[in-house]
Amino acid sequence: MDLIANLATGFAVALTPANLGFCFLGALIGTLVGVLPGIAPITTIAILLPFTFTLEPASSLIMLAGIFYGAQYGGSTTAILVNVPGESSAIVTCLDGHQMAKQGRAGPALAIAAIASFVAGTIATIVIATASVPMAALALKFTAPEYFSLMVLGLTGAVVLAHGAPGKAVAMVLLGLLLGLVGIDVNTGAPRMTLDIPELGDGIGFVPIAIGMFGVAELAVTLGRPQDRTLLDVKLHQLWPTREEITACIPAMLRGTALGSVLGVLPGGGAALSSFAAYGLEKKVSRTPERFGRGAIEGVAAPEAANNAGAQTSFIPLLTLGIPGNAIMALMIGAMMIQGIQPGPQVMTAQPQLFWGVIASMWLGNVMLVILNLPLIGVWVSLLRVPYRLMFPAIVLFCCIGTYSINNSAFEVGLMLMFAALGVFFIKVGAEPAPFILGFILGPLMEENFRRAMMISRGDLTVFLTRPISGFLLFLSLLLLIILVLPAVRSKRAAVFQE
Amino acid sequence: MSSRISFPDLAFAVFLIAVGALALALSSDLSAGSAGSMGPGYVPRALAILIILIGAGMAARALLAARERLPGVALRPLALIGISVALFALLLPRAGLALTSFAVVLCAGFAATDARLRENALLAVGLAAFAVALFVLGLGLPIRIWPW
Repeated sequence: MDLIANLATGFAVALTPANLGFCFLGALIGTLVGVLPGIAPITTIAILLPFTFTLEPASSLIMLAGIFYGAQYGGSTTAILVNVPGESSAIVTCLDGHQMAKQGRAGPALAIAAIASFVAGTIATIVIATASVPMAALALKFTAPEYFSLMVLGLTGAVVLAHGAPGKAVAMVLLGLLLGLVGIDVNTGAPRMTLDIPELGDGIGFVPIAIGMFGVAELAVTLGRPQDRTLLDVKLHQLWPTREEITACIPAMLRGTALGSVLGVLPGGGAALSSFAAYGLEKKVSRTPERFGRGAIEGVAAPEAANNAGAQTSFIPLLTLGIPGNAIMALMIGAMMIQGIQPGPQVMTAQPQLFWGVIASMWLGNVMLVILNLPLIGVWVSLLRVPYRLMFPAIVLFCCIGTYSINNSAFEVGLMLMFAALGVFFIKVGAEPAPFILGFILGPLMEENFRRAMMISRGDLTVFLTRPISGFLLFLSLLLLIILVLPAVRSKRAAVFQE
Repeated sequence: MSSRISFPDLAFAVFLIAVGALALALSSDLSAGSAGSMGPGYVPRALAILIILIGAGMAARALLAARERLPGVALRPLALIGISVALFALLLPRAGLALTSFAVVLCAGFAATDARLRENALLAVGLAAFAVALFVLGLGLPIRIWPW
């Protein structure tokens, strides 16, 4: 069967010593980053991006992906033990997980989180493997109008799922699109908005923006806030949950996995949304909902399964269509482009080792994480005692070195500083950086497809609606926007959840 | 009469209008062409106009919304982080990685409210050594270690 053959190719790539090493490194760094609050996975991926330039494409994606789903594992550890979510998708795990810890059942909580994540990760890997082939086949039918509409859908998803006012998110998308167009126009060779600066001929670097807005800006703002971390001194008695608990959790795990797999693929979806939704679903479905919030073990199993599934399936649009579903995927596209790989449906056929290697390594990463997490919990917790004032200067330094090293250019470090300042401004006025960076990455692509579509149709705008796939995608975007307007309550509730 | 201005929203709206206007000014020399055959200036100008319109709409709403002040800005961390990054950009080409890292970490370290000089200096030396070891010796980046 084709699937088996493909997976075999993938495992052949993933099991090389080098790639195993990078997978492990990614999972380790990811867990570390997930455990430590104040450092987000997206920041880490942004900082490490320049260094992946020297690696093989498969290795770099394997490592970066490992950071992403590794952070899901790590975030749940601190959520349970310290009631501090190291990662936004772990916020929901705090609710019941920490209650369980307070009742002396931290061990079972941690174990269930790891088991649920592993089960979800395995199923999600299979989902990715089976879903990608038809999706890529579908994508081969895409021409310019369909690509444009797909990107519109992606950006709409980012707007709908951004925290905060949708109006601001739309503005951020447009700003990103505009900034993405700075540089020399491919079609005519005319310099656009480059202020006659030669370094801007190729456009504004992606890395200075990513590191500046997601790394340095977040850091600077976090420093301005009061730091408080109360550690729960937890002794881990029994590590394993009882058999009844495990069997009770199986339906929760499966529901969480299913929900996470679906929500992860959606534009704008990913780990955090999946975990919130799974928790909500579990509570609704349970026969004893009053247990939730007081230490219900399903309240840990479901979101943990969902966030891992969501993290992995969010790679599907990236690997099959070349469209980033969220900001982290936008960074992955950046990583691919640094390697000289043009993301798109042809990646599957032109670079099968890359494609299947990444998928196979996701499963291997999950295995490593289950092994890593449980014994090393003591280590992770003790790391939390390191004061932030010792960590953040290192982060600043790494941001600088990383940005500089791309082109040995101090100019780009200056750009990074400028975008860091801009990032602080955006945070203070309540504008989300994620839609901005999505717009920035997609800007040149969208313009190219828009122009091409208009050329094909000779200036006829209705081409986007008359072609069936394109029309359908635009209709979905409209639907998403309507959903946004109707239960504005739901997005407010998620925002309330966030703090 | 109490003011009903939401300052954060207004600030963002003004920013949008400014950026849009700047983009329009910078692309004024580009030909827009027509919808059927777009010139290089078509999409930038369209986007700029959209941004200005949204900014204007937001500004109008911000002037009539519930009053909201600008959130507090902790100047010290921002300034020190900014200066340390600027230091990096200026020093690295001239002074090499070791000294630059030391300066950057030292400067950035004081952005924390609970910073202590001796601890900070030790951290700076340690991180400078670590950075040189990892990036130049380990990863082989072509960066000078010392100024000579």
